[in-house]
Amino acid sequence: MSAVSIWERMLNIDRRWIFLGIGIVSVVPFFLRFGLPVVTTDEVESIYNYVDSLGSEDAIFVSFDFAPGTQAENMPMAVAVIRHAFHNHVPVFMTASFPIHQTMMISAIDYVLNPQTEGFYQNVPFGEWERIREKGITDRDEIVAAWEAEGNELPDGALGWAFEGRDYALLGFAPVFNLVILGMTNSIETQYPQDINGNPTGEMPMLHEHKSLREVDMVLTCSGSGVCVWWVTFAREKIGLPVAFGVTAVMATDYYPYIQTGQVLGQMGGLRGAAEYEVMLEENGITPSTDKAFTGMDVQSAAHILIILFIIIGNIAYFAGGFHKKRLLKGGR
Amino acid sequence: MYDVIGIWAGAFFTLAIYSFLYKENPIYRLAEHLVVGISLGYGIAVTYSNVLKPRLIDPVNSGGHWILVIPGLMGFLYITRFFPRISWLSRYPIALLMGTSMGVAFPLTMKAAVLRQLESAIIPLYREGMSWDVVLGSVIMLLGTLAALIYFFFSKPHKGPFFGFGSRIGIWVIMLGFGATFGFTVMGRISLLIGRVQFLLSDWLHLIK
Repeated sequence: MSAVSIWERMLNIDRRWIFLGIGIVSVVPFFLRFGLPVVTTDEVESIYNYVDSLGSEDAIFVSFDFAPGTQAENMPMAVAVIRHAFHNHVPVFMTASFPIHQTMMISAIDYVLNPQTEGFYQNVPFGEWERIREKGITDRDEIVAAWEAEGNELPDGALGWAFEGRDYALLGFAPVFNLVILGMTNSIETQYPQDINGNPTGEMPMLHEHKSLREVDMVLTCSGSGVCVWWVTFAREKIGLPVAFGVTAVMATDYYPYIQTGQVLGQMGGLRGAAEYEVMLEENGITPSTDKAFTGMDVQSAAHILIILFIIIGNIAYFAGGFHKKRLLKGGR
Repeated sequence: MYDVIGIWAGAFFTLAIYSFLYKENPIYRLAEHLVVGISLGYGIAVTYSNVLKPRLIDPVNSGGHWILVIPGLMGFLYITRFFPRISWLSRYPIALLMGTSMGVAFPLTMKAAVLRQLESAIIPLYREGMSWDVVLGSVIMLLGTLAALIYFFFSKPHKGPFFGFGSRIGIWVIMLGFGATFGFTVMGRISLLIGRVQFLLSDWLHLIK
């Protein structure tokens, strides 16, 4: 067999072998757990620091602007910021820009409130603490005191209570979402008279304190599409609402200019951005451990090494086979 | 029980979609068609429960908010698309929505996507107290922006010291941008695979925590 034929064979390798290689390196690191360090960047730190500076008198929006196709990247970002907000007792409004995005919103809150999640928050549905609302108690500490005085105890492993209507509101999907954002700059209740569970938003303490986006302190748009720019266009530019991006890695380079202009206070780009946020949550004792994004970073590194190897081998075969002189791409084609 | 069924269905369809990597097959096509069908069905159900019922049907039925019938009928005109003889009626809600969206979006989009970007591109190259790396970054950004713009200036041949050299630098700048985007794209695609592998190994097989 001549040397050239070896290079030809290398360049014409069945791509299914490459898929198999990527498949193997995507599974093995989950069992070996290298625990490679994740260094935090300014873009993610600025979001973390901003959320960390907020308290129970503030409020944030987490907008679910992604579909199941990108949930591996976007979901950990949303979950991390919700857990951070819950830790600091910052009320979280959750919206969805399209019907399918609402499933992502429900999955995120289910995960944060699920007792099987390490470091979960104990859910208190809106209807269950109606008696406390009827007494006119709206301060969060007083709500917790009244709730626990009724004999309710925080389960083992729970990091705190999550009162629906005080700590979070599932606003969900509303059509023509760019106009919904614009409408919320005047009133959240007119855009969302009730949440996805049919609870009247007008009776929620968090809406009494934050009637419109003008009384909200930040929005994180977790986005797998251009919807994130709607928040900049219709909320940031109109009323100056601070906007943070949680975008997929594919989109990340497109939106760096928005950081430079100061229109966006920070950006989590892909799984890596979410992993950075998880690291900061763990380091500061907000969560007991890192979560899915950090675990995935070992696999990410292994896959990248394999892809770099493929690129090097491909180039060696291309040049060693003399294909560059013949101005042919590969295998004589 | 429903959770278990959901996880098994998720695992089956994940593997069905990935079976395409070996070769196209009927199981893959089944999964592909189901994604489209279920997404549409889910969208209709959510739109009914989140929008139509609480914002139109319930207020009209219980509160007598008859004014809502007007926008309701307007929206209903969309359906006339399916009837060729009266399909022209669907142009009215489309025109209303397009006109409103354009009117509302245009000034804000100009400000957010054009003027702000222009403003941030016009920055002082040097100010007292600036560190050398910031100055260098500003100079590179200025030259890079100019070079990329020269590359897209097609009214002059790309020859000579200004247009020729400038466009060559421009293509390098553009390639650097493409390289960064490609790197992020690879990372993104691997992340999506990681998400599915995590689901299969954790939720389905319980092999990892």
